[in-house]
This record gives sequence, C-alpha cells and structure tokens, in this order.
Amino acid sequence: MDETKDRIYREELFDRLKKSISLKREEECIGCLIKPTLWWVIERPSPKISELERLVGGSCPYLKKAQARKKATCVKSIFEVIRKATETKKLVKFDCIEGLRGFVYPITQGEKLYGYIGTCYTKKDVSIEVLNIFSAFTDTVVREIQKELELSKLYDMIRPRAIALSTVHTVHRLISSTLDLAELLPRIARLSLQIMRANRCSIKLVDSKKQVLLPKTTVDLRKKKIRLKKVKVGEWAPGKAVKFGRPIRGENYLATPLIDEDVIGVITLYDKIDGKPFSAFDQEIMATLAEQAVIAIKNAQLYKEQERLTMGTIKSLSAVLDRRAPGAYVPRASFAKITIAIGQMMHLDIDTLRVLEYASILHDAGEIVVPDEVLSKPSKLTGKEYEIVKEHPSIGVEIIKHIKALKSVTPIILYHHENYDGTGYPKGLKKDQIPLGARIMAVVSAFEAMITKRPYRTVRSIDDAIEEVRRNSGTQFDPKVVDVFLKALKRRDIRAMLEKELYGHK
Amino acid sequence: MDINKALESKIHLKIATFFHENQASIDTPRGVATWIGEDRNKVKAALEDLVLLKVLIAHRATSTTGYSYTRDEKLISRIDKLLKRPA
Repeated sequence: MDETKDRIYREELFDRLKKSISLKREEECIGCLIKPTLWWVIERPSPKISELERLVGGSCPYLKKAQARKKATCVKSIFEVIRKATETKKLVKFDCIEGLRGFVYPITQGEKLYGYIGTCYTKKDVSIEVLNIFSAFTDTVVREIQKELELSKLYDMIRPRAIALSTVHTVHRLISSTLDLAELLPRIARLSLQIMRANRCSIKLVDSKKQVLLPKTTVDLRKKKIRLKKVKVGEWAPGKAVKFGRPIRGENYLATPLIDEDVIGVITLYDKIDGKPFSAFDQEIMATLAEQAVIAIKNAQLYKEQERLTMGTIKSLSAVLDRRAPGAYVPRASFAKITIAIGQMMHLDIDTLRVLEYASILHDAGEIVVPDEVLSKPSKLTGKEYEIVKEHPSIGVEIIKHIKALKSVTPIILYHHENYDGTGYPKGLKKDQIPLGARIMAVVSAFEAMITKRPYRTVRSIDDAIEEVRRNSGTQFDPKVVDVFLKALKRRDIRAMLEKELYGHK
Repeated sequence: MDINKALESKIHLKIATFFHENQASIDTPRGVATWIGEDRNKVKAALEDLVLLKVLIAHRATSTTGYSYTRDEKLISRIDKLLKRPA
C-alpha cells in the first residue's frame, strides 16, 4: 500500500470508528464504570506533542486550569505512554497527575499501527477485567470495520473489472452474430469507439503478398467523408503494430494488431473524446477486444470461402443442366434477382434469402435424369413421359442431399411444382402446407419457363407471362407471393436486367 | 417523455447512473439488470425508453442487443446535473 492509499485507508478507518454505534455504546458502558473520564482518539501512529496538547489539554478540566509547566509534564507523560503502547502494541495503563488514571489502546492490523484510543482523568482505578473487556470489545469493533473496508476496497477493485469483462462478453456476442465481413468490420469499429470513447476507428487487413495494409473500414464520428488509405507494413502506427505484432500507443492513437497465427490486420483508434491520452488500461481492453475480433473475422472469412465453394458447386451443376436442353437460354442472374427481391420484400432473413438464391439456380437439377428425347420433345408428352418429368423434384433432392450446405434448399426443390390449390406434384400439398420458399419458387420458375425458349412451347413476352401469373393467382400460385412478384417486376432495375439478359441474346 | 421525467423512475435513474459511472460499458439487458439489481424485463423496457431519449445507444444484432452510453457531451453534462440533484 503506498503512502496516499495508506492515508486514505486510515482516514476511512477512523471515520467509521468515530461513527461506530457499537463503540459509542462501549464508551458509555465503560464510562459508567470508570467515570468521570476523558476519551480521545489519535488518528495517526506517530502523533506530535503539540497535537496531544491540543487534544488532551483542550478538554481536560484539570489541565485547563493548570500552569503551563504542569500541562507540559502531563502531555509528555502521556506521550511516553503512547510510545510504550506503540512498542508493545498492547493496552497500557498509566497514572495521570493528581491521583487520576488512564490508559492508551493502540489500533492495529497485523503489524500495522493506525492510531490510538485513550482515556485519562479517570478517578477510579480501572480493573484488569474492565480493561480486558474493553480490549476485546474494541478489537472486535475495529476488526469489523477493517473487514468492511477490505470488502469495500475489493468491491471497488473488482467491480470495474467485472463490468469491463461483461462488456467484452457483450461485444463478443454482438460481433459473433454476423458472418458478413461487410457488416462485421464497421460493427467492430463502432463498438471499439464506444468502449474507448474515441472519435475515429480504422480497421485495416494485411495483404501479405504486397506487404501492405488494405483499409477495410473507417468510422469517424466527427467527419462525414472519410478517405481510406493504404499503409505499408512498418509505416505509421498501424504498420508498426503489424510489423512488430504488438500494440503501438501514442497520446492520441492506439494501434492494436489482430493476431491469429500471423498478424491479419490492425484496429487503430484516434482521439479520445475527453482529449485524454490512451492509457495502459485502454491498451489492455483493446487487446482483449482484438482477440474477439480476430475470431469473428476469421469465422466470417471462412464462411465466405465456404459460400464461394458452395456457389461454385451450384454453378457447375447449373452449367451441366444448361447443356441438357439445346437452344434454351436461361437467364439465371435475373431470376435469382427476382427471387431475392420477392424474399426481401416479404422481409425474409438473410439466410433464407441465400437459400432462395441457391434454389433459384438449382430448382430443376433433377431434370438431369430426364432423357434428352423427353426434355427436348416438341410435341405433347405421353403419360409415361410425364410421370418421368414429375420425378425431377425428388431426383433433384437426391442429387444435392449430400451437400450439407444445401440442406435448407431441399424443401424448395421438392415442392416447387406444388400448386396452391393442391393440384400440383409430388404430394398435392395445399396453401400453407407448401413451404414459403417453394411457393415463391413456383411463381418464379413458371415465369422463367414461359419467357425462355423451350422446345415444347413458344416463348411468351414478359408482359404476357406476367399476365399469366396474375391469372393463376389463388389457383396455381399463392396470391400473396403473386402480389409481391408483380411489385418486384415493376422495379426498373429488375426489368432492365431481365430484358438485357433475354433480348440481348436474340 | 423527457429526460427529467424519465429519471424520476427508479429503474431509469439506476440505469442512467450505471452508464454515467461506467461510460465505456456495453451491456445486454440481462447484464444491466444484474449490475443494478432489477428485474430483467423492466430493465429491457427502460433501456428502450432511454434509447428513444438518446441517453443510450442500442447496438442491435440478431442474437442480442447491447446498450452503451451516449457520446453527446452536452447531454452527458445535463445528465450529470440531473443525477446530482437532491432526491
């Protein structure tokens, strides 16, 4: 404990001691036995004689009238008693002047001495039993107060750390809830700004081939326009933090490296809002936050990589399918866009939208087993041939069921030929029995079939196909989905994309 | 509801005090409820009231919402005065 802390602790101890009701009652009880008594408390281990003179001399009825010489002798003798109590750390009795008595009780904690409680001007001799009771009781009161102080000190020390820990835990939950890097990095930046009470935060990721830090996000609460700058590894605070793999702290900046196996990036904070410099505690908190951020960034990067692989697989499958129907051109990008737009307008979450996107490419994957002569037959199919075609949803499911990432796509593929009125296949499901994704896909895939070239059917115009969808609302299609589909098709971007893909190939 | 009125409520006052004393903190309704010793559902509602009054910032994610203190220095100074006013 340093000197200041020691002083604060002593002051707090005596403050509580003076307020202690238990001690007051003890004084009253003991006072009854040995009265009249003068009580005094010395609030430091080495009092000065002048202090004692003021304390005792000012209130002792005898000394008030006594000559200066006698007064000095009295104070000096008490001073000697205090010295003895300091040495023995035990209660010391003494004879006061003119046949009066007193005692000094040292207040200690282990080897540490904090001050004294004393009495004088006691006419009756204080029996050893009374003194034992006094010592034991005072000791108990002092210990209780000391325990209270220790607890409160511990509380003051632990509480901010516990709150900081809880903050780190909350940040972990907030940043782990997204796997989208474009959403994750600004979120990390904003949370860092909030915790550090800083004005600007920038996150840069390492491009190890070029030995450069690429700016990914910067949030500045004072400026609206932000310039994103590349920084070479080893230059400026962010570059140095990456080069040396440790935080670089200055008065108005703190660069914390994002360390996985290697350094993958850096979070740099600038300018605290209160104008104070970044502290060692700030550095410690940011190091913990950076550890959480690295995990979240790596997860998001892995997820993106996995998504890329899944999309690659889907596109390969789709390319194989496209080769099955010669002469047919399927503008998949615009159909995916229409499907996602419907999902967004129906307020579906991001994962469901992704599933819809996959389904928009894969819904007819099962057609791969339909013989070429059936698939490209220009005339009406026989009953047997139609039975083969009707199997394509379940075969599509068979094909993709081994790809775990596409598990959620299977109900859409399986039921996208179900009709809202129950007349579809494979199970004849009705209304809400059909999964929503499949109801959306039913509309989009029917629209797709009408406006793209098929051997068995003449191509319809976009407006004709829209009218046909509208006509079948409530029978073949879910009317709610049709309403949203019609709104989506009014969007300029969608219409333009569709027309470009369809008629750009004529 | 304005800030003066809001801070007449015990829970709102306790939440504002907590964030005023721990300005670097970001916590969930559950965490705040623990720190101030109040019911989680009541705390959740009060946190949203304080977000509307711009005393707190809500960081919303799918799994949870984290709440943190305003960065507006003028507002912080006004809250400081309100918290120091006699009960």
